[in-house]
Amino acid sequence: MQANSVQDDTRNKPTMMKEKMYCISICGGTGCHAYKCEKVSEAFVEEIKRRKAEADIEVKTTGCHGFCERGPIVVVYPDHIFYQRVKPEDAPAVVDSILNGKKVIERLLYVDPNTQERVITVDDVSFYKKQRRLILGNNGKVDPTKIEDYLGVEGYKALKSVLLSKTPKEVVDQIKKSGLRGRGGAGFLTGQKWEICRRAGGTTKYVVCNADEGDPGAYMDRSVLEGNPHSVLEGMTIGAYAIGAHEGIVYVRTEYPLAIKNLGIAIEQAKQAHFLGRDILGSGFDFSVRICQGAGAFVCGEETALIASIEGERSPEPRIRPPYPAESGLWGKPTNINNVETWASVPLIVNKGAEWYAAIGTEKSKGTKIFSLVGKVNNTGLVEVPMGITLREIIYDIGGGIPNNKEFKAVQTGGPSGGCVPANLLDLPVDYESLTEAGSMMGSGGMVVMDEDTCMVDVAKYFLAFLKDESCGKCTSCREGLEQMYDIVERITKGNGKEDDIVLLQNLGRVVQAASMCGFGQTAANPVLSTIRYFHDEYKAHIEEKRCPALVCKDLISYTIDPELCGGCTVCAKACPCGAIIGEPKKVHKIDQKKCIKCGICITSCPPKFKAVKIASPMIR
Amino acid sequence: MNDNNKTGATLVVGGGIGGIQAALDLADSGFKVYLLEKGPSIGGVMAQLDKTFPTNDCSMCILAPKLVSVARHPNITIITDGEIEQLAGEAGDFVVTVRKGPRYVDEEKCTGCGLCMQNCPVHQKGYGESPPEDLHLTPLEVEQIEAILQEYRDKKGALMPVLQALNNTYNYFPGELLKYMARELKIPLSLIYNVATFYKAFSLKKRGKHVIRVCQGTACHVRGAKRVLEEFERVLGIEAGNNTDDLFFTLETVNCVGACALAPVIMIGSEYFGHMTPRKVDAVIDKYYKEGKVHAS
Repeated sequence: MQANSVQDDTRNKPTMMKEKMYCISICGGTGCHAYKCEKVSEAFVEEIKRRKAEADIEVKTTGCHGFCERGPIVVVYPDHIFYQRVKPEDAPAVVDSILNGKKVIERLLYVDPNTQERVITVDDVSFYKKQRRLILGNNGKVDPTKIEDYLGVEGYKALKSVLLSKTPKEVVDQIKKSGLRGRGGAGFLTGQKWEICRRAGGTTKYVVCNADEGDPGAYMDRSVLEGNPHSVLEGMTIGAYAIGAHEGIVYVRTEYPLAIKNLGIAIEQAKQAHFLGRDILGSGFDFSVRICQGAGAFVCGEETALIASIEGERSPEPRIRPPYPAESGLWGKPTNINNVETWASVPLIVNKGAEWYAAIGTEKSKGTKIFSLVGKVNNTGLVEVPMGITLREIIYDIGGGIPNNKEFKAVQTGGPSGGCVPANLLDLPVDYESLTEAGSMMGSGGMVVMDEDTCMVDVAKYFLAFLKDESCGKCTSCREGLEQMYDIVERITKGNGKEDDIVLLQNLGRVVQAASMCGFGQTAANPVLSTIRYFHDEYKAHIEEKRCPALVCKDLISYTIDPELCGGCTVCAKACPCGAIIGEPKKVHKIDQKKCIKCGICITSCPPKFKAVKIASPMIR
Repeated sequence: MNDNNKTGATLVVGGGIGGIQAALDLADSGFKVYLLEKGPSIGGVMAQLDKTFPTNDCSMCILAPKLVSVARHPNITIITDGEIEQLAGEAGDFVVTVRKGPRYVDEEKCTGCGLCMQNCPVHQKGYGESPPEDLHLTPLEVEQIEAILQEYRDKKGALMPVLQALNNTYNYFPGELLKYMARELKIPLSLIYNVATFYKAFSLKKRGKHVIRVCQGTACHVRGAKRVLEEFERVLGIEAGNNTDDLFFTLETVNCVGACALAPVIMIGSEYFGHMTPRKVDAVIDKYYKEGKVHAS
């Protein structure tokens, strides 16, 4: 049994194995943690100990494998056998299959939802097939708490070559040539940013890694930091050498405790191994890194606010640019800020060359980008794809389409600063320019799929609630404008919308865009404007007919029981938290609309053989 | 502007809405504009109005974008706190002398954060300096906070790490401790308050034994996180952001916990519960109450 497709050598090389013959790699990402993967890991260790097979089989808890939907994930090397939804009690069987002649455990294999076939190796899983996992690839191969593992996958090779054989200018030129653009959202050319910072005067400079991944629905930075922290450190050290900085700071969200822990371990190990600290690898170059924790403020992802938050001397509000941080940033010194994914791309470019990197992707957007494919899609998880791939390929080929045969409605990209891209643009290539043109943006890479059961007005309301909460309040237009926009959208979802509300929203949105100082305010109207642009009819249905077509907005819907279908089983009546369902056994039940709080428990509790609870809109009065 | 023989510079006197519009129009047609304003800031009367006559439009909505474009326009130089002293020359070739009042603040460096205003001691003394307050702290509390402060005394940027350490110990900020911290670190209490209330992870209110955090990320939202939150609110009888009466639970929302594949997801302490539905809420709460009782007995 051989792994058959060899797309990228980082993907198939079993570098993690040393003298041992087999390696069981267990995903230890946050998703799998929630499925209690540590118990699975313990069970494997226990079982191997019991069978005295420690010399033949190695157990590794690695970073996120990406396919979070099917966790806990276990991959057996060298054959790349892919097991999913593994429970602790499965451990003996798996170990047994390894020790006694490679019989694959059928029941743990992934079943392709489209072909109904059982898939054996990682590469045959449809979720992984179209991906190009340049950055995430090593996540499943290294134990993030062991530097030896990272060294085994060519770790710190790029740093060595840079420090020993390249001038800072050559490094900057190489990054420039690769066409790498900032992965945090705006897509500024990384090489150019470095160049500005390199040329800025002064001897004290800083490099900062922005790991304040605040976009709801995006978690790739978390995954890279948790699963492969050394790649970020290596990138930062190379960047620091290129621009002439000696101090680095990683700003991590406090919501990511595992990332903070693993990064801390990595920093210590890198220091011990002389990849950080004084006179790195005997080159005479000094560089140290420390971690700075955020405290839950979305606006801190904006670079000037992030700087203010690190300085910690006042509430972190953005300030006007210029001067850009590359000229005057942290404590007034030139500062280069890049996001986690950008830093992690740097060693890759140095190792494989700028031309190689520039050959991937489209004319203006180079390389690969990690997206978190979540929401109403079959295969949720982290996907890494070359730029220029179409949305359809991501959602249908990799994501496996929409669950329960529902219809695709829109995909939200770019988080609260982005917008919703509708079904007729499914063939849009994913790159910075195309997405911006469609009224959305690349952002940090959140991709939330929405199906016919998602109300777009409700989505707009959701984002406005988020944004008005997170606005720092410095600019009037953003602080007050978002509040007003929220009020308008809220009244639309309550059925009190007025005829000219849509125009009013658009006008207000433009003011917020034009009059706000930082990127937060300038993009804050995108979710509303893009939903109005593509789903005008839905807004109209709410306003004119007091109807929510997706049956979501509580004030516009009613739950009813279809007397033809009701079997009188009393399940819903028992489940109803407020006693709103009247009915006796074997008789048709009825919902008292006055008591109903529209929690939806009845619809989920009604047995599938009846499916008698329905939602009606407009509301029954 | 292209003809080098003429400067084509203009001076607009008065930085109200009229002056701002005039400056923008002139600058857009290629003139270098000096916008002169007597007061310390531009905007004039319109900036103080709520609505404008006769359309009842929001006055700031009209004015704010113009303020920003004036400030950003490469052809416009704003001179505030200035008055014309002398006007010489003739049409087409004026020489204007402007007297500019002192600001005592380096305009190049100022970020407009407003902290100087908040913390000016003279301003504070206007109300009479309050006598040093007696703080009621237990020896244990003093010991705990001293352990935290020790490392950061006289250090730059100490505020955030100290607050974070305090939050890790207490899960919220007891007021007395903040006052103690202000006194010891010589940071104004107003500034500590300013930072402590800005971040979501901090709270001035006591938190319960178990903090339930219901994720409201986009992925969770489209999969029905709102309903889950509402069910928690109903079952616990409290709204998000509050504690149960017995201080056993605190119910909070969080923007995203980064476990979107498990949506809708909640966290209790550091434990994750994925694929939540309103129906599962009761069971999750019961589990904690039962465990709590076991520990108590």
